[in-house]
Amino acid sequence: MSIAAALGESVSGDSAPPPRRTAQRAHLVLLGPGLIYLVLFFVVPVGALLATSLYVPVPGGDVGEYQPALHWQNYTDAIAQFWPAILRSFWFAFLATVASLVIGYPLAYAIAVRARGRKLLQGLLLVLVVAPFFTSFILRTIAWKQILADDALVVTLLHWLHLLPADERLTATPFAVVSGLTYNFLPFMVLPIFAALERLDSRLLEAGADLYASPTTTFRTVTWPLSMPGVVAGTLLVFIPAAGDYVNASLLGNNTNTAMVGQVIDARFFKVLDYPTAASLSVVLMVAILLLVGAYIRRSGTEDLL
Amino acid sequence: MTTTASASRADATGSGGAALEIERVTKAFGAFVAVDDLTLTVPSGSFFALLGPSGCGKTTTLRMVAGLEQPSAGTISIGGRDVTGTRAHQRPVNTVFQSYALFPHLTVRENVAFGLKRSRASGIPGRVADGLDLVELGHLADRKPGQLSGGQQQRVALARALVNRPALLLLDEPLGALDLKLRRQMQLELKRIQTEVGLTFVHVTHDQEEAMTMADTVAVMNRGRIEQMGSPAELYELPRTSFVANFLGQSNLVAGTVTERLTKRGLLGVDVRGTRVLVPQARAVRTEGAVLVGARPEKMRLLVGDQAPGRGENVLGPGVVTDVSFMGVSTQYQVEVAGLGTFGVFAQNLLGGATVAVGSTVRLAWAVDFTFGLDGAQARDEGTVDLDDEP
Repeated sequence: MSIAAALGESVSGDSAPPPRRTAQRAHLVLLGPGLIYLVLFFVVPVGALLATSLYVPVPGGDVGEYQPALHWQNYTDAIAQFWPAILRSFWFAFLATVASLVIGYPLAYAIAVRARGRKLLQGLLLVLVVAPFFTSFILRTIAWKQILADDALVVTLLHWLHLLPADERLTATPFAVVSGLTYNFLPFMVLPIFAALERLDSRLLEAGADLYASPTTTFRTVTWPLSMPGVVAGTLLVFIPAAGDYVNASLLGNNTNTAMVGQVIDARFFKVLDYPTAASLSVVLMVAILLLVGAYIRRSGTEDLL
Repeated sequence: MTTTASASRADATGSGGAALEIERVTKAFGAFVAVDDLTLTVPSGSFFALLGPSGCGKTTTLRMVAGLEQPSAGTISIGGRDVTGTRAHQRPVNTVFQSYALFPHLTVRENVAFGLKRSRASGIPGRVADGLDLVELGHLADRKPGQLSGGQQQRVALARALVNRPALLLLDEPLGALDLKLRRQMQLELKRIQTEVGLTFVHVTHDQEEAMTMADTVAVMNRGRIEQMGSPAELYELPRTSFVANFLGQSNLVAGTVTERLTKRGLLGVDVRGTRVLVPQARAVRTEGAVLVGARPEKMRLLVGDQAPGRGENVLGPGVVTDVSFMGVSTQYQVEVAGLGTFGVFAQNLLGGATVAVGSTVRLAWAVDFTFGLDGAQARDEGTVDLDDEP
């Protein structure tokens, strides 16, 4: 007799009974507060942003006076003028994401796998990872400005070691901006990867070894794929805010060859009072991030994260 | 195409699996000695069971053979090659883990192909299909392990190990998570597969019935040592320690002292609280001093009233029947004999049920030929299965 027959098929597709009306009402009630919040603080502002992006200046009006219109040229103008900043934003965000992954994965692995079973050590290391959050984001970035300053220890040491040519500096360089981004968003990379690796069953690694996989191969074929949801979540949590960040570029950059789009939007809104351009740049940034992230998630095969 | 890796594995495997030799292996975790000076040979092509209670060192032994632990001392050879010190992925051994340890991110097919891919074997798709057919799971090849039932997962784990044609297949309580009925079926199935593929199987279990049903040779382990090794029938009929007598089935053991040797008939006379009991000398571990005299419950019968024992039978008693349990094929009696303790007696229900009532006074009789003698220094209740101990 076949065992398969004896076992039967346990995984038959039972369809759930149709939801009753009262249950549906309960769902709506539970969703209510969240929906209201999202409409007030997300849908309405985005709508306002979209509208503003098409405004035109009031003829003969003051600086910062605009009237509703459907002036699509705002977009082409904004892109034509600021495309280097847009591209640079994505490039810097990409570099910061890669750097955070390279630094963050081993760190998460050490905490989750190497320190497994030592609760105290794990807790301590995790606290260290999130410790920077206890101080303000801006203060920390200003601190980096001090650390990378021309007359500070790091630059002096690098000059002395001839790792940095004597006429070069660190502050106000793309390197400083990417370093700042990496530093500021690193915990967002470490925590989701830690969560994924923490759940990793060490018996699977033994099974890999038992099936002739060397430790490297076991990492490549078992550990890495199983930590993928953490990696995808981490890269998104770093890339998205990094692409729109303007604090690092403002404080650690030099405004010319390090300007990021967030910085440009900030300047358009608050300094030049050019609301339509700022709004259209915001929309461009949002759409570009959505497209990039969508393509990335599709490629990495982790659609269930969405 | 044949690479060196798969070629050497094929050499090690041959047709009937490889022999396993464990020589004077000790494994200590800090002060705790899990495996103590263990020596063991498993002939190639055999179905070998390591039987023992939890914590007896059987799983540690298996893990050392797999290469997942390294022995503190001693050597392990597979197919005549010393593999001590090599790592798990370098050994021609595969394991069916207790937890199955299937890769959750891979399909059933990819799980089964995992080992073959690592050893760069040729004809992987065909071999994977054959492996899945062997465990009758071909139709579920594209499912993920999470979508399978426990029994199906167990068979995927088996196929994943078997397709590699390992020199040695290690089974670490692979049936532990299945319910009783399914477990019985899988036992027969595993036995069939082992006969079919002819590999050497080393099976670790705490289930004595499972070990006896499946294995050619059973080694009973206790406290990091092997108590006794032999065929299931040998171990059952002639246990050499009180642990084996109690752990493998049940035994009635009573303490006594050897008082005479009937050398001509090859028998020992043992005084059990004033009653003379005969033990065949060949079935006794000790031939002098304090001994434990034993007999299996189904070998014993009840003598009622002045019923006389047959020729060549030992008699103990009288005692009082304290419990009668009807079990369908048999009836189990508990008989309390003053000064000697409680005896179990299994009687086949030839007459359709219990023939003796609770409270009756009976004597116990059993054939001298089925009596065994153990070392009197061992505890009578060593190895008695405590149900709370087992997972």
